[in-house]
Amino acid sequence: MPIVCALVPAFKVEVARFTQPELRERPLVVVDRLERGHALAVDDAAYELGVRPGMTLVQASACAREAAIVVDEPARGLALWEEILDALDAASPLVEDAEPGIAFLEMRGIEGTPRVWLASVRGALNAVAAGALPFRLGLAAGKFVARAAASSRDGTIVRRGSERAFVAPLPLRVLDLEAYAIERLQLLGVRTLGELAALPHGPFVRRFGPAAARAHDRAGGIDPEPLVPRARALRVERSLFGEGTAEREEQVLFALRTLVARVADDVALAGKRCGYLRLTLECEDGTTHDVPTLLAQPTAQAATMFDLLRARLEGIVLAAPVSGLRLGAERLEEGGAERSLFAGSDPDPETVAVALARIEAALGPGSALRARVTSGHRRETRYAYEAFDARGLVRRAPHAGAAQTSASEGTLAYRVLAPREIGVRVERGRPVAVGGRKIVELAGPWRVDESWWAQALDEGALPYASDAYDVLLDDGTLWRIVTEAQRWYVRGAYD
Amino acid sequence: MPLTAATQPRRDAFAELRATLANAHAEAAPAAFTLAEEAVLRTGFPALDAALGGGVPRGIIATLEGPSGSGRSALAARLLAGATLGGGLGALIESPRGSEGCLYPPSLAAAGVNLERLLVVPAHDAVSAARAADVLLRAGAFGLVVIPAVSLPAVAWTRLAGLAHRSNAVLLALGTEASDELRYFASLRVRLRPRRVRWSGVSGLFCALAGAELEATVLKHKRASPGRSAELFCRVAAGA
Repeated sequence: MPIVCALVPAFKVEVARFTQPELRERPLVVVDRLERGHALAVDDAAYELGVRPGMTLVQASACAREAAIVVDEPARGLALWEEILDALDAASPLVEDAEPGIAFLEMRGIEGTPRVWLASVRGALNAVAAGALPFRLGLAAGKFVARAAASSRDGTIVRRGSERAFVAPLPLRVLDLEAYAIERLQLLGVRTLGELAALPHGPFVRRFGPAAARAHDRAGGIDPEPLVPRARALRVERSLFGEGTAEREEQVLFALRTLVARVADDVALAGKRCGYLRLTLECEDGTTHDVPTLLAQPTAQAATMFDLLRARLEGIVLAAPVSGLRLGAERLEEGGAERSLFAGSDPDPETVAVALARIEAALGPGSALRARVTSGHRRETRYAYEAFDARGLVRRAPHAGAAQTSASEGTLAYRVLAPREIGVRVERGRPVAVGGRKIVELAGPWRVDESWWAQALDEGALPYASDAYDVLLDDGTLWRIVTEAQRWYVRGAYD
Repeated sequence: MPLTAATQPRRDAFAELRATLANAHAEAAPAAFTLAEEAVLRTGFPALDAALGGGVPRGIIATLEGPSGSGRSALAARLLAGATLGGGLGALIESPRGSEGCLYPPSLAAAGVNLERLLVVPAHDAVSAARAADVLLRAGAFGLVVIPAVSLPAVAWTRLAGLAHRSNAVLLALGTEASDELRYFASLRVRLRPRRVRWSGVSGLFCALAGAELEATVLKHKRASPGRSAELFCRVAAGA
């Protein structure tokens, strides 16, 4: 089946350039954050200067001093990509969203020649503002070859039967093989897909595992993986206007309940469940207030939708009476997540989602978090917080059983304290007292020193260098104290 | 009622009955006072679970009291591990800018907590912490909610105790000392104190904190006998 690949190389870089056109003239590095961030994507110029994704900001700055550093805006990128996917619907009814920056369109059954197909996809992209991103199009009989065609040159068409010859000169890194497998193959003298395809299939799979079978097929231009089309962006929307104004919360909730019931009926009639609600409150003074609500599970239940919206409204204060309501149901999907027969004791994701919405309404956005462990050479970089997602709580397979921790030993917990400066008395190079309390026992120092990047740093960026100690004070407190630039700070406590 | 010839035999009978019950109580096996498996949240320390009559009972407010370094956070992490295993949810309300700071996530992971099932709520004052606890207990989806032992009026603790009971969850307050109101409404109070800190190696560069020996004493227990204590050892996890 003919498949068109629409590809934007280095999507995050191009999104940054799209929103800030003045960055076109300089090498560009996109990072996740400015404070101790890491490079997420780099353009060709920055790549030539030695910057690689995954580098720290300090390393990237050292390699390319003239590069512009931009913080990634995932929401902006996703919004642009959604706009593009909606536009591609005009070129083909079957569009697969592989990832932001890569989409596949199936052209079987559409009248025309390959050139016409490419032209229609190009036309669909030109119709939207986001289509100004530098798209490359490629056409082939499978997704892998179509992507390779788009990557090589815009407008490349790979005729049926010539897929193997087309991918033969490509390097091994275009395959999703593990790094060690690529290294082993290169040691064996295999560097291109053509050389890999020439290897016998059976012995290759036995050597590198079942996952390598797909890689070997792709090296021969064979890609049986089907296109998985995305759900069409259908919308259901209802509004309630012209029935007076609502000055009290009960009045707004009464009208909202009516509106939610109508929208839920429309969703159910369409045989769908919705995963996203957008409520708009229009006030008498002309202002509008949007309340977007992501549902933990797609649903068509009016009660669930109403509970969530009510929880979201709890923290909102309006300056004028409400004169109208509009409610849209988006991300309509067939069916929904099936609850496992053995999930009786699991927390209900909808209940949890309502609780999360109430927490955010009471304490503000960003109050419902989940921690995750990351890799880092300093304690402060070994964890991060993200929004708690109730959607991940649904489980579809029975648990092996509730395994209780039971051991005679526990694990001493570490508490991260807000850094505060302390007075430390030092004798013969060792701290002996902290704020008037004597140090009974001490371990350390352990040094972290990033100053070897100092020569390559931009002005104003200070290298990080510190000595850390674990100290036991005479009142039984166990602290981690740190000295930086001849000042002492308490960083954490063991408890 | 004045002591008469008619009432004296009755009083003697009651006194004999009380003596019989007291003897039977003293002779009864510890298992008679152990709470049912599903009614408790186990700490994972066999000695402490025995002192608590099986574990921390569900549906109550409990406190872990002690100075910094007494192991309150380590014990709370073990309870969170027990709550998040097997598909349950736990919640941790903490004040990152407060004097106690926040629990280090790799420490929680090392203690066995499933971080994907642990909700972390940063609350900057006592009212925010109480509101968050109210919402989470009302949801009924969180088996354990950990909160700093903030100072709240009695009416707030009354409400939280009722919500904990209805949702069969544990509201665990951590702090140096519980307020008078919290002491009244808590059904379980455990005091921790450090006994000895262990180090590996010679003091200085080649030394490292190995762990701490702790002592936990049950100050108050409405569903089992108080006054028992247990000795615990907590080691420092590698990399945490």
